[in-house]
Amino acid sequence: MKKKRKNLWIVSTITIVAILVLWWLVTDKLGIFTSNTLPSPIKIVRTFIKKLSDPNPDGATLFKHLLSSLKIVLSGYLLGVVIGVPLGIIMAWYEKADLMVRPVFDMIRTVPGIAWVPVMVVFFGIGFTSKAVVIFIGAVVANVINAYSGIKQTKQVHLWVGGTFGASNWQLLTRIALPSAFPMIINGLRISLGGAWTTIVAAELLASNKGIGYMIQQARGILRPDIIIVGMVVIGAVGTLLMLPIELAEKKFMKGGKW
Amino acid sequence: MRMEQTGKIKNDFIVCSNVTEEFPITGGGSFKVAEDLEFTVRENEFLVLFGPGQCGKTSILNMIAGFDLPKKGTIVVDGRKVEAPGPERGMVFQTTCLFPWLTVMGNVEYGPKVRGVKKGERRKRAQHYIDLVGLQGFEKSFPVKLSGGMKQRVGIARAYCNEPVVMMMDEPFGHLDAQTRYLMQEDLTKIWQKEKRTIIFVTNNIEEALYLADRILVLTNCPTKVKAEYQIELPRPRDYTDPKFLKLRKEISEIVDHTL
Amino acid sequence: MRTKTPAQERRDKIVYGVLAVGIFVGFWYAVTKLTDFGQIFPDPITIIANIGDKFINPIGKATLTGHILVSLRRVMLAFTVAAASGIVIGVTMGWYPVVEAVFKPVIEFLRPIPPIAWIPISILWYGFTEMSKYFLIFLASFFVVAISVYSGVKSVDPMLIRAAKMLGAKDNQLFTSIIIPSTVPYIFSGLQVALGNSWASIVAAEMVQSNEGVGWIIITGQQSSNMIQIVTGIVCIAVVGMLLVMIMRGLENKLCAWNKQGR
Repeated sequence: MKKKRKNLWIVSTITIVAILVLWWLVTDKLGIFTSNTLPSPIKIVRTFIKKLSDPNPDGATLFKHLLSSLKIVLSGYLLGVVIGVPLGIIMAWYEKADLMVRPVFDMIRTVPGIAWVPVMVVFFGIGFTSKAVVIFIGAVVANVINAYSGIKQTKQVHLWVGGTFGASNWQLLTRIALPSAFPMIINGLRISLGGAWTTIVAAELLASNKGIGYMIQQARGILRPDIIIVGMVVIGAVGTLLMLPIELAEKKFMKGGKW
Repeated sequence: MRMEQTGKIKNDFIVCSNVTEEFPITGGGSFKVAEDLEFTVRENEFLVLFGPGQCGKTSILNMIAGFDLPKKGTIVVDGRKVEAPGPERGMVFQTTCLFPWLTVMGNVEYGPKVRGVKKGERRKRAQHYIDLVGLQGFEKSFPVKLSGGMKQRVGIARAYCNEPVVMMMDEPFGHLDAQTRYLMQEDLTKIWQKEKRTIIFVTNNIEEALYLADRILVLTNCPTKVKAEYQIELPRPRDYTDPKFLKLRKEISEIVDHTL
Repeated sequence: MRTKTPAQERRDKIVYGVLAVGIFVGFWYAVTKLTDFGQIFPDPITIIANIGDKFINPIGKATLTGHILVSLRRVMLAFTVAAASGIVIGVTMGWYPVVEAVFKPVIEFLRPIPPIAWIPISILWYGFTEMSKYFLIFLASFFVVAISVYSGVKSVDPMLIRAAKMLGAKDNQLFTSIIIPSTVPYIFSGLQVALGNSWASIVAAEMVQSNEGVGWIIITGQQSSNMIQIVTGIVCIAVVGMLLVMIMRGLENKLCAWNKQGR
């Protein structure tokens, strides 16, 4: 069995190497694709290194762009979590709240985050606020949904047991429902962070003068696919890295394993 | 291939010789489940394998069924060596394992279907077995809507419908409540009497063993061997309170190994 | 806590739903009419009137229906291709370890890149053609479906396979009668997420570069500071999005009825 595993690893590595080699052949060596359409992998690595310190051609270095995007994402996201999670919990726990808020909420949630960009731009212009608000809306929606599901799937049996111990409604919520909803709430934090990151890229494609989305949009205009691809890879990598703190928090708080 | 046609009862219908089975354990070494295990099964006999929990009874069934192969030794069923699972050796699992996306009818007719039996014929056959286990009217229900006892009945009908030469049952009533368990024991006896089949039934419940069996093999802890053999000649349906029943119950309970 | 009958629950939902929407709309109306907010944001009646009007009179190249159909067409074409190929790849990946070894690293590398990040390169490669939209929607759906289906195949209960073998199923029969039905719920959940992604992606793609479609409606509204048009666009997007969700859910209920556990 172990030998089979090792062989499969080799297959995977060979595939990746083969793709990279093919890519390089098709661009650099044979020139089937010009560097205006598909740059060779070597060029991309070079551009990446260059862009770390070079503010040309779009006005800022890679770090500056990233920082700008991250600032907006984290502000909108954190506010969205702070408002969304409690809102979801309240909606799930108090039936009146559910009946009143749900219909409006259901209408809002089908609108993809970026669709709000034009509205916010008209209100706040191009800049920090408009994009942060768009991120905020997306983060609230995702966290409400997950917190709501988490509380709703509290096992009735557990609540009854709490009741036999004389727990008040508040205690039932905080001591029983919340802990059991924890996995879903964490899941909501994770999904909304991923969504927030995607949304900021989209928002910057449309309405920005800095940020990583802006960087790839500009690069398209001046026919620099190498910058675009560098941007895409960075976007993917940062997106994955952002998830790490949540994964760590999850492992730490759920020492007991899956619930 | 039905037994009734041949008229002659084979004594060595199933033969297990020198069966040794072991599993590797983490940290090195291996855990011997069985060593030089030997026994035979008579055709159409209701044989019960009785023993303490975790003593390898399920492994034996798995080997006869063909899911696992013994490290040493052979198992021969009706003259053929066992090398892979097959429709002539049916099994009813402890956790039922019904196909959740198929209805009761779909589950029961699955065996004949994959073996190419035509629709009309297999529907008739499946219906016969659904009726036999007492589930008329539930043909179109999905397993998710059935109770534990009903699911096991479907499992029994499904195995029966494939007309295997031997049926193995791995503590099929273990997860049922006491009441349902008694009912199922009664029903299984009735079903088996109506359509005789070789059955190898595994249980760690002594009452169940005595109620159902023609013959009981008492097994030891791992590595498992046959410790004792009891031929049960009480008339059916058996009475749990009959003095002979109770005498056997006491005797076997004392002789069986205790669980670790 | 008194429990309610299903009929009472439905009645409550409708009553409170109407009440909630009514209060929301009323609040919206009051705010636009009584405060300065009304300078930048239109009141609900104007919006509804505009929507009605735009079904008959075109915005740009087409009426509302035309734009909606364009966006839908773009999504459905690419989504179908992505779904089909995603299912095929996902299933083969789950069943054949070699296929898994080949495809998994590539998918894992490309998956974290959000579809929207592909927009610039897509436009660069395919220009202002429909292909750039199809390419994007394909990316938005393919990975999700493939991974979902792959997980489904990997999670098939091995006991069910055992039972099927015992009953006499051969390898290819195992595949069609056990693996595939087992995986259907996973396929569905993957398709639902992929469809949602696709709808969001087409809106984004149309906002960045298009001359028709629901995304175009919003972005041109922004460019001419026409809030009425922007909100009209948003309403369309929300409604169509909701319809897509409802259709998928309906299909799921039909095909996965056996999965629903009774409470």
